[in-house]
Amino acid sequence: MHHSSRVQKQIGDPVSDTPILPRAKLQEIFDDIQNDMRFDHELNGCLNCGICTATCPAAHYYDFSPREIVQLLWTENLEAIYDAMQEKIWACAQCMTCAARCPFGNSPGGLIMIMREAAIKHNMESAKNVLRPFSRVMLKLISTGNQLSPDMINPDHFADWGPNISKVHAPLALLRKAIPMATLNTVKTAWEVNLKTSVELYTIWAETGVLNQLETIDENLFDVISDIMDEKRDDWSDFLDDQDD
Amino acid sequence: MQPTNNGTERFTGHGSEWRDSNLNSGDAQMATAWVEQRIDKRSMLTNKDRVQDVREIMWQLEKEGEIIVHRINDEHDPVMAKTLYGWDKKIPTNQLWHHKSCGQCGNIPGYPASLLWMMNQFGTKYLDETDQTSCTAWNYHGSGIGNVESLAAVMLRNFHQAYVSAKAEGKPEGYYYPLVHCGTSFGNYKEVRGYLLTSATLRERVKTILGKLGRLVDGKLLIPEEIVHYSEWVHVMRRKIAERQIIDASQIRATIHNACHVYKMIPQDVIYDDEVLEGDRVAVSTGIIQSLGAQIIDYSTWYDCCGFGFRHIISEREFTRSFAIDRKLKIAVEEANADMMIGHDTGCITTLDKNQWIAKADGNNYEMPILADIQFAALVCGAHPYKIVQSHWHASPVEKLYDKLKIDWRAKKTEFEDYLKQIEAGGTREMLYDPRRAITGGPGYNKTQALAAEAFVPTAI
Repeated sequence: MHHSSRVQKQIGDPVSDTPILPRAKLQEIFDDIQNDMRFDHELNGCLNCGICTATCPAAHYYDFSPREIVQLLWTENLEAIYDAMQEKIWACAQCMTCAARCPFGNSPGGLIMIMREAAIKHNMESAKNVLRPFSRVMLKLISTGNQLSPDMINPDHFADWGPNISKVHAPLALLRKAIPMATLNTVKTAWEVNLKTSVELYTIWAETGVLNQLETIDENLFDVISDIMDEKRDDWSDFLDDQDD
Repeated sequence: MQPTNNGTERFTGHGSEWRDSNLNSGDAQMATAWVEQRIDKRSMLTNKDRVQDVREIMWQLEKEGEIIVHRINDEHDPVMAKTLYGWDKKIPTNQLWHHKSCGQCGNIPGYPASLLWMMNQFGTKYLDETDQTSCTAWNYHGSGIGNVESLAAVMLRNFHQAYVSAKAEGKPEGYYYPLVHCGTSFGNYKEVRGYLLTSATLRERVKTILGKLGRLVDGKLLIPEEIVHYSEWVHVMRRKIAERQIIDASQIRATIHNACHVYKMIPQDVIYDDEVLEGDRVAVSTGIIQSLGAQIIDYSTWYDCCGFGFRHIISEREFTRSFAIDRKLKIAVEEANADMMIGHDTGCITTLDKNQWIAKADGNNYEMPILADIQFAALVCGAHPYKIVQSHWHASPVEKLYDKLKIDWRAKKTEFEDYLKQIEAGGTREMLYDPRRAITGGPGYNKTQALAAEAFVPTAI
């Protein structure tokens, strides 16, 4: 069959007998989800009561239901799990209302995080597409340890926030200087981050496989961030050398 | 299948003997109100018997010599509070290490500034320093980049720094206790704490990493006795704060938006107080606003999230703004007829504050001042609306609220604009603490200066 839409390219033809992926690959993806140390904590059982979906904000606006996600995992429906990992898991707003309400103590939102990690690990094209507009945030967070910076909030990026992003008209650097906390007089990071802190954070990223995740999802972004990290590590070495002198 | 008045059919899901009750709206409300009264808190209480207090595991692990607990001692002036199941939670009120929020600092800087200003009113000792990262959980929940190990290592690194930070000022380890500003950090840290305490494998993995960073205490992982959100400090201090109030708030109709990651993640660790909405809702924020004499207005979508969504607010904003407008702002304006909506978390305040103007595209003009609880508290205790509360960063019409509070915001704004000119010309800046204390190690740190900086007297702002 001719694959005409983006979704079909990712999940194949829903009425075809041909498997979306070889069974072994589907099993491998599911095993990664199920072997996560949190899996049994987040999934205890499900009677399909639907409380999770009834209180889910994403279910208001997307073709998404936390109840469905839980059911797919509970029944080990490998094809449908793979299908849900293309778009549905990215609809979740991570408010965790579902987890607070589930009579079984399940956390559909927590299961979704395990599935998102698996989507990245298995290099899914859908994950790359979803995360592309988020790369600015990942660049900032991984290189500085701050998720958001003052220079990101500007009308070019947030036109829908209207004309009142700042009600006092002055250069951003001056407005930041007028905040009475010394750590906040910054423009490119939310607060001034100690060089030592950044270098420690890079060690955490490297040791926990986060840099591998990043390289899988966006090679260019990985290169840019690697350069920044190398530069800061060099600065830190220079500082230590100066101390020795 | 039932026939309808217009001759069509509909699925009802019940038998033909069923008849409409035809209650008017008032009677219908009365008939079902008891359900709503009981369901709010009870629905979360149902799992009580199956929920373990992980702090018991923490003390046991310390006893077995596997971890060290950063204690809340008498020097931290603790106040006891009760959580959802009636468990005790110790809230430190002095010697606090500010664990900042990237979203607050980047986008709503008056939020942390108001908190520090309030602490200055009480002479609270604290440290605001550069040696900290965010919890990194905003990115994790948005993108899936990260994992339980990275989140745990980041948490333990930051908490270790809180533990040792006072050494830069010649004080002992453990002097400052971490106070978490962000709701997502608060929820995420508590979730990760649970995993750490119950998984020896995870502890072993992160111990190796923390060892490489030089972030172990006597070769052991350090875990704080309680994970404390700033709103809990505000809550236990609420009566003392109210004693300092100089602006009457009794005419203000306030709606409260509680943050999902504050009270839906690890709900058993959240403060409930019989004096606040009969103990049926989370007490923080509502408690302080009540103590300040404003009218607490309940509203039907109180339980809903704000629509932030972590990735959604950046790259799926149609969802974020639709949910914020339809489920929160519209209700606060049309149903609650509120003067303001108060929050206690970064993402919610940003979402609700910034997503109002766009509703005009749909022919609606929902104007609702949005502030954090501590910003409102500082405001009515006399903090400068621009120098401290920094409300010029808020897109929502806080000026409407100022008018109702009889704050001459135009004069205050002019003062602030003059102050900006003064800074631009190289004049003295008004600071809440001596800036030299912000650096506790690495480039720029000077121990002699840090010790001298303690004598700093904050400018009267």
